[in-house]
Amino acid sequence: MALDAKAERLTQPEVAGGARRSNTQQAILLLSRVWSWVFLVMLLVYFSAAGTGFFSLRNSQNILVASVPIILMGLGQTFVIISGGIDLSVGWVMGLASVVSALIMRDVIPDQPVEVQVPLAFVAGLGVAGLAGLINGLITAKLHVPPFIVTLGVSFVARGAAWVLAEGNVVAGQPPQLRSLGNESLFYVVRGDEGGFYFNLGALRGISDEVCTVLNGHLCRPELSGAALRGLDRVFTWPVVITFVVLLVLAFVLRRTQFGRYTYAIGGNREAALRAGVPVDRHIIMLYILSAMTAGLAGVLHTARFSGGAADSGDALMFTAIAAVVMGGVSLFGGAGRVAGTLVGALILAVLETGLVMINVQTFYKYIVVGIIVVVAVLMDQARDLITGRAETVA
Amino acid sequence: MVKKLLLLAVAALLMVPVLPLSVGAQDDLPKIGFLPGVVDPFYQVMELGINQAAADLGIEVVTQYPDDWNVTLQTPLLDSFVARGDLDYIIIAPVDKEQMIAPLQAAVDAGIKIITVDTFLGDGDYVNGPVTFPLSYIGSDNLEGGRIAGEYLAEKLGGEGKVYVQNTNVGVSTTEQRGQGFIEAIEAHPGMELVGMDYNLDDANTATEQTAAVLQREPELAAIFGVNVFSAIGAGNAVNNAGLGGAVDVVAFDATQYAIEQLRAGTVSLVIAQKPFDMGYLAMEFALADWRGVTSLPLRVPTGYAVITADNVDDPEIARFIYQVP
Repeated sequence: MALDAKAERLTQPEVAGGARRSNTQQAILLLSRVWSWVFLVMLLVYFSAAGTGFFSLRNSQNILVASVPIILMGLGQTFVIISGGIDLSVGWVMGLASVVSALIMRDVIPDQPVEVQVPLAFVAGLGVAGLAGLINGLITAKLHVPPFIVTLGVSFVARGAAWVLAEGNVVAGQPPQLRSLGNESLFYVVRGDEGGFYFNLGALRGISDEVCTVLNGHLCRPELSGAALRGLDRVFTWPVVITFVVLLVLAFVLRRTQFGRYTYAIGGNREAALRAGVPVDRHIIMLYILSAMTAGLAGVLHTARFSGGAADSGDALMFTAIAAVVMGGVSLFGGAGRVAGTLVGALILAVLETGLVMINVQTFYKYIVVGIIVVVAVLMDQARDLITGRAETVA
Repeated sequence: MVKKLLLLAVAALLMVPVLPLSVGAQDDLPKIGFLPGVVDPFYQVMELGINQAAADLGIEVVTQYPDDWNVTLQTPLLDSFVARGDLDYIIIAPVDKEQMIAPLQAAVDAGIKIITVDTFLGDGDYVNGPVTFPLSYIGSDNLEGGRIAGEYLAEKLGGEGKVYVQNTNVGVSTTEQRGQGFIEAIEAHPGMELVGMDYNLDDANTATEQTAAVLQREPELAAIFGVNVFSAIGAGNAVNNAGLGGAVDVVAFDATQYAIEQLRAGTVSLVIAQKPFDMGYLAMEFALADWRGVTSLPLRVPTGYAVITADNVDDPEIARFIYQVP
């Protein structure tokens, strides 16, 4: 407990003088905390007013779905960056996990029932990702090679392995139920004759038809076909549900557990953390495993959503995910940041993507906006450090 | 302080996207979304065809380009097209014949009709194949395109010699078939030998490296077939760098300006031009025809090729097939 308290103190590098900050300094501090939220709200308001169909249930769900790989690649990354590291391997680790999970279902256990195939495939995908993370962590922590180099190297190994295993192709031929897992949802909203709000418990029909009559039948959505499908909105698709459960758990872990306090402590001052008794090496290894595994989860969810394993599934969005983490206020100097920030960063990116389509502007503009806010985020970070005096303790 | 605030203000201003001009559409006409595979001259010419048809038919069309050939980039654009709620048809070049099935099925469920151009879903057979929901597949017969390249080289080389293929990705429907058609044509000539087929993942630099290595490995290489824009550019580059321009025949798929320059310079001896303008224009007409209740639209429309050599490149009837983006 005493040890925890020490680690806690290390994470609170507020320096004397905090009480006598000028109003401007107070304003900057406030701005640095809330600006990304404010920007997200501004975007939402702007696109809702200007865009065709932006403010709709379906689009809100599209934004969540589009943010899934960004959030997952950014989640473990958030921990790693707070600890003062970086993980450049997440993109191709995601691809490797996607390919491995797809190969398991298609080639390794093709004859098993789908209830066996899918969990085993997910475990294998996450496992191979975890292995990549273990290698990242071991070399970074024990051999003191800069994480930038280690994870870059592992990224290339994962990239090669993924293409080799997939034989350069997309690993298609997945069980049809997999597509439901990747695209169906927790809730349905149906407009039209049988309109209303439904839970997705249609599988219960297998047990008893009676179940579906409970709650006036709102536990199972009506069978729809043809034109009636137009009125169907899927709310919280399974990948979104899984992603947000993981997000909540990790937010809790970072803010409220010893694991989280160690992460801040190592990022704040590694030497001091070591002296305070934090098992630094072991913790760093676990952080890289965590980062690889959230990326691996993105990979297996890609396999489910697109019913195929693709080696390049994470490549296109990897730097976008790192940008989301930075936009969310996680300090690249280590020691500061929150999971909620990464969520906001990812949402800003997904909102820009869909919003620009709605107002008929090429989505290439997204990158210009993202580039500017990444730099603004770092400026904010530095301004905050200057005011709180944290800069001296880090530099 | 002032500086910082100024910086923020400028950043904020930059973030306000420019409002587009909206073109009013007539009520009894469909509204169409066009979603190509990636930004390149081929799809830009297709967009010219789309826009020409839009102007001729009085139809409103919105276009979005993914900046890379990847399902994780094309799918959010597609989903946003669906969420707009105002589109009746989507004309798309799916970037993967398997992975894009689920996202496009969702669009169909939402009441949008799909026409695939250039690339296809499933096996491209929308009657008996695994995917039957698209209205039509308008694009080159790529097996035929590969055969044209193979036959040309076999004839030019007198039925003897070593040949090599620069291909893009394994999973892409069109380029796979071009490679296959080429190999079929080569195998019909016992004197011809295929020394290899490499995949450059649609990157001209990688294509250059791979081709340069093969030129080293196979000093007697007689000809190279580049299956698309980037493959042909890369192969042509490598041949030029090795000082083998004219000695090693390069057949290029896609009539980009660069490929035509190489043809004039003698590095490339044949350019097989697809007809992306036709694909775009026809897809728009098909959409309107379906909107008007026409039910006998063909499910497969091969758009054919123009074969360009140094001899006919200045003939206006042929030169109009060069991919020219204003």
